[in-house]
Amino acid sequence: MSRQSTGYWFILPALVVLAMLIAYPVAYTGLLSVTDSQSNFVGVKNFATVLRSRATPQAFWNTLYWVGGSIIFQVLLGTATAILLNQSFPGRSIVRSVALIPWVIPSIVAATTFAWMFHTEFGIINYMMTAPGLIEQPIGWLTNRDTVMPVLIAINVWKLFPFVAVMVLAGLQSIPKELYEAARVDGANFWEEVRHIMLPQVRPVLVAVTLLLVIWGLNSITIIYAITRGGPANSTLITPIQIFRIAFENVQFNQAAALSVMFFAVAILIVFFYIKALAAAPGEAR
Amino acid sequence: MTTNAHVLPPKQAAAAENTSASAKPTSPSDRTGLGTPFIVIGCILLVAICLFPFWWMSLSSIKTLRELYTIPPIWWPAAPTWGNYHKVLFESNIPRYFLNSVIISVGATGLALCLAVFASYGFARFDFKGKPLFQAFVLVGQLLPTAAIIVPLFVTLRVLGLVNTYWGLILVYMIITLPLSVWMLTSYFKAIPVELDEAAIIDGASRVGVLFRITLPLSTPGIVAVVVYSFVTTWNEFIFALCFASDSSVKTLPIGLAEFSTEFNTDWGAVMAASVIMTLPIALLFLSMQRLFVGGLTAGATKG
Repeated sequence: MSRQSTGYWFILPALVVLAMLIAYPVAYTGLLSVTDSQSNFVGVKNFATVLRSRATPQAFWNTLYWVGGSIIFQVLLGTATAILLNQSFPGRSIVRSVALIPWVIPSIVAATTFAWMFHTEFGIINYMMTAPGLIEQPIGWLTNRDTVMPVLIAINVWKLFPFVAVMVLAGLQSIPKELYEAARVDGANFWEEVRHIMLPQVRPVLVAVTLLLVIWGLNSITIIYAITRGGPANSTLITPIQIFRIAFENVQFNQAAALSVMFFAVAILIVFFYIKALAAAPGEAR
Repeated sequence: MTTNAHVLPPKQAAAAENTSASAKPTSPSDRTGLGTPFIVIGCILLVAICLFPFWWMSLSSIKTLRELYTIPPIWWPAAPTWGNYHKVLFESNIPRYFLNSVIISVGATGLALCLAVFASYGFARFDFKGKPLFQAFVLVGQLLPTAAIIVPLFVTLRVLGLVNTYWGLILVYMIITLPLSVWMLTSYFKAIPVELDEAAIIDGASRVGVLFRITLPLSTPGIVAVVVYSFVTTWNEFIFALCFASDSSVKTLPIGLAEFSTEFNTDWGAVMAASVIMTLPIALLFLSMQRLFVGGLTAGATKG
């Protein structure tokens, strides 16, 4: 019994399952995208049909808006939370547990709860803003084309900033004490420590987390789908929702597959350039 | 909120610089720190932001219809009612969906754990040709856009006759949670000294015997982390369930929740009650296992 073959036997079951339910579907998407519903080869016809749709470019820009907007605030709020929770103070462990709650609340529950809170007439948010006179009239947060995306992004930020906080906090706690001691000898204050020790040291964590957030952002449908289904007037239609709707509402699997292929290609490109940009950066940072 | 307003009494301000006040001696923050006012305001804001929606959801679930639709909103119902819970528990499909969710989550978590344990042990303890490639393949599973595989996955399940079955959702959820589970467990297994394995093998144990008698008992926190992660992910998943379970005999809780709110008419009291019912088990599981879970997750991320 050689070590070599024993290792294979251990990983084989997991690989078979992943191949069956990931590799095969991915290959199958490619096939679906160039055939029609009777499995006849149709070349790039599905791609052309999808690209002609006016919703496609709009969904593309909405996706960038959604992912970019979410990530900026998730990382900022998450990092700030991590720095706060890295302090010693009584009751810290309670605050830490509470800070994880948004992450564990199911997306669909977060979506419906916030939909109720942002309700135009009876929502608590409009009341809290009209009562002290912050706004004159209740706003139709989820029905107004200008406010709906920022509100959805805010919900997404609320849902995921605890994840960033947990990861960055772990990074902060692995910073060697000597670095702080050296900084103190040099007379650094707290904010200088944040800038010159904490942020540079948690940089690798931030990179890994941001990458995960990009992927999750490109993946996430639940919050938007549950609240607006992409409306009003396609203003929150992101590409994953467009794929979903073409496939399961219009029952055009082949067109949905064509859009999936394009989406997949763009997603890989974004991830690739992101990794490349970051791989180039650490040298200058240190 | 109120419990944290007095979390930092004024006298602590002086002690903040003092080592004795720190909860954790290894923490660097007993040297220079964020000022006390920053900490107090930060904590109050943080707790309010995190808890308010949950609190408002719970509060709304015990209001009557009239109290729900009152402006200004009622901060505490005059006569808290269980009517919404009664409606959800006895006049809807939610109990059935709850059972479905339990079956599917337990099934997917158990299967993913079995596969992940063996795969992680293989990755942690053996060198073999193509190992980096296989590890990369496992990670790609984590990177794939859901939207890109949902259509072919649906077609695949249809061919296998698994649409609208427990097995269909169990299989799908298993592959969603498998990659990160393998990632977390591999780093746990690697941390266990290989000499223990070797000693056991000299004593006549088989590889699988080593895995079950030595490696697994020593990696309980990692196992707990994987179980919590898989269970929470599966319990909360919405989109795959929406596509692959259209029959009420297999629908899960998130689908049931979405069904309460239709485009034109939403029974907000019932929705909030169902939300509480759906959130409580998972929140309790998570909070009780939180320390182990966060440890397992971050160990995988910072070492990996």
